[in-house]
Amino acid sequence: MFNVTFYIRRLHSICGIVPMGLFLLEHILTNAEAIGGPAAFNEAIGRIALIPHDIMLVIEIFGLAIPFLFHMLYGLYITLQAKNNPAQYGYVRNWQFALQRWTAIFLFVFLIIHVVDLRIFTKGGGTPISYELLDQMFNNAGWFIFYLVGMIAAIFHFCNGVTTLCMTWGIAKGPRIQTFISRVMMLVCLLLSLVTIAFMISYKMH
Amino acid sequence: MADQKTVHFIIERQDTPDSKPYTEEFLVPYRPALNVVAALMEIQKKPVTKDGKKTTPVVWECNCLEKVCGACMMVINGKARQACATLVDQISQPIRLAPARTFPVIRDLQIDRSVMFESLKRIQGWVEVDGSWEVNTAPIQDPNVAATAYEISHCMTCGCCLEACPNVGPQSDFIGPAPTVQSYLFNLNPLGKFDKEKRLNALMEKGGITSCGNSQNCVEVCPKDIKLTTYLAQLNRDVNKQALKNIFNK
Ligand code: HEM
Ligand code: SF4
Ligand code: SF4
Ligand code: FES
Repeated sequence: MFNVTFYIRRLHSICGIVPMGLFLLEHILTNAEAIGGPAAFNEAIGRIALIPHDIMLVIEIFGLAIPFLFHMLYGLYITLQAKNNPAQYGYVRNWQFALQRWTAIFLFVFLIIHVVDLRIFTKGGGTPISYELLDQMFNNAGWFIFYLVGMIAAIFHFCNGVTTLCMTWGIAKGPRIQTFISRVMMLVCLLLSLVTIAFMISYKMH
Repeated sequence: MADQKTVHFIIERQDTPDSKPYTEEFLVPYRPALNVVAALMEIQKKPVTKDGKKTTPVVWECNCLEKVCGACMMVINGKARQACATLVDQISQPIRLAPARTFPVIRDLQIDRSVMFESLKRIQGWVEVDGSWEVNTAPIQDPNVAATAYEISHCMTCGCCLEACPNVGPQSDFIGPAPTVQSYLFNLNPLGKFDKEKRLNALMEKGGITSCGNSQNCVEVCPKDIKLTTYLAQLNRDVNKQALKNIFNK
């Protein structure tokens, strides 16, 4: 009754783009400032800090935490509905389908650790986020790889998500346009991944 | 038998719906244009395993033998296919046969596909009022639409697409690509379209079209080459419009 499943599913899809996809893009752009060195990165963080704390908190809770948690929890439920079978049916789209779910499970763990550690314990505990703080964290090879894999997983998940969203909403109907969008989004995925690898490695260079 | 060319089969068997599966291997005399159903018939005639042990004949289903009825669907070398239309020459050996476990197994390769019939009832896979007309009084149909309807009407509920779909199975309540796309066939019908709203609302329920995750395996395996993903996308458009109507028209 009332097609509850339909609306939840469409809401899950929208959340993937707004706010999650937009936030991911913003996150990559801000973090890419690290390529310019400590001063440039800390300045970029300073610009975000200009938003008054009370307004920021409202944005963080209603604009980020709630949609993220909804997409993550319902996404986990969707992930459990699939028996991935790319070993049997090794088509590109089926691999992407499986990767969408594997990255989802990894991101679930990654995002919780990432947010609890940096936003809640570190920043919430009174220590501001800075280039130096991240640099120190990335000195540990384990954290460095964890964050690099987390970022690339999120980028793939988002880009492939845009492709599937065009199918889910019936925007792209035929195989030609669906394949075209998929290729463009995989190109965007490659590009964003390269930017991410560049700013992650720049911590080791400065 | 020594210099007779043979085909090697490894078959996953199961005696009852609940018993444990086991495998048995068979050697079937080769002949040109041998297909999997014909090979199973040879095993039925002489149910002796590769090691010479006498066994029970392997059970499977088939009917039309020309890729029309859908009954002989099974997993052949890892993929869902019609056994009657699978030529031994076209696939690698040893040939592995297994039942399509997306469906309940009855015995050996025989499965119970009745869940698809139940799903067709759910999406109202029929036309409420049908009739016959003189040619000049029949409802007019766009020939392009008729061609699409003809294509979708080829569906033989074989279940290949459900077996290949990662979102269909005991872990999920998805009715699967075939019944979902059949609703589009009846929505295209000049009289069937009067129940379009009912069908679209059924598709918006749990286990309906929203359970599709766009892996597109269905369109790859459909033996009737039905453009399933294209019609799934069309139905996604249609349910969006229906949702707007549900919100703003009542
Ligand atoms: C960086 C964070 C994330 C972003 C930007 C993101 C974005 C997206 C986008 C755009 C889609 C496409 C929706 C569609 O096909 O209609 C999507 C789908 C999906 N997401 Fe996420 N997501 C993120 C994190 C997660 C997490 C943590 C999980 C689960 C634990 C998850 C689970 C899923 C699943 C299962 C789908 C497939 C939905 C479907 O096929 O219907 N996502 N995501
Ligand atoms: S496209 Fe949808 S219906 Fe087809 S196999 Fe993939 S998940 Fe199943
Ligand atoms: S859509 Fe194709 S694969 Fe699916 S049941 Fe019908 S004929 Fe078989
Ligand atoms: S026996 Fe009818 S499809 Fe194979």
